Amino acid sequence: MAKSIGIFVTSPQNMRHVVGVTKAALAKGARVKVFFTWAGTHLTKCSEFPALCALDNVDVSICADSYKKVGYDVKDIPKGLTPEKMATQAQHGLILEEYDCYLTL
Amino acid sequence: MKMLHIYRSEPTDDVKKLVEIVSEGRDQASFNLNVESPDYDKLVDMVWDADQTICWW
Amino acid sequence: MSKKVFFMYPSNEYSLDGIRSALGLAVENMYAYGVMMNTVLADTDLTDYHKENIDWIRDMEGEVYSIPDGNVEKHGFVKITLEELGQKLRDMDVIIPYGIQRSDKS
Repeated sequence: MAKSIGIFVTSPQNMRHVVGVTKAALAKGARVKVFFTWAGTHLTKCSEFPALCALDNVDVSICADSYKKVGYDVKDIPKGLTPEKMATQAQHGLILEEYDCYLTL
Repeated sequence: MKMLHIYRSEPTDDVKKLVEIVSEGRDQASFNLNVESPDYDKLVDMVWDADQTICWW
Repeated sequence: MSKKVFFMYPSNEYSLDGIRSALGLAVENMYAYGVMMNTVLADTDLTDYHKENIDWIRDMEGEVYSIPDGNVEKHGFVKITLEELGQKLRDMDVIIPYGIQRSDKS
């Protein structure tokens, strides 16, 4: 049975790895959750971000407080996200509690 | 216990030392993400297979 | 059983929000720890907000450590050596190298 995987994104440099790992895991039938925090929220401005959010079996959320602290307006919701996905660090806790495997990127 | 060490960049001496200590007496594997085209399919298999994964800087 | 999670902060830029991330797990009933790997926080960096976050982590049986002596002397972080850190990491469920490791350690 395919496992689930959670990805905690703290770096502004790793979008290709986030997308690469997510797609590879999905191809194996996995469920994926990605949570972007602090400088990782800069990746919401990458052209790949909306497509990542649109993938089936992928749950994408970001830390709204981080997004604000790195200079963005929380009312400017990144394309691909809904307001409830502008979330808190509790999303990271969910990854650790509910997903089989864990990566930091 | 199977450990997987993933490297996002060339490991520093401090990282090498920490890997040595945390891996002592345990099975370990490593994967280098710091290449032109990482084999993500293989990486996911390795993550599945590991009991603990550390994704170093 | 509550997970034990260790955050490693490579620079000042990533430490203060990383400490907030550690607190975020502490309030989710996990044991959360952090360590400053390379740099010393300036007095102006460590605001009352950050100090409160560190106090909360400690209240919930976590800790914030430092390898550089400066954070121990100036901010009361608990001193740890690289070797001691390695031994502590062996006991963790989750290990998080946070942010980016800069070659100049700034």
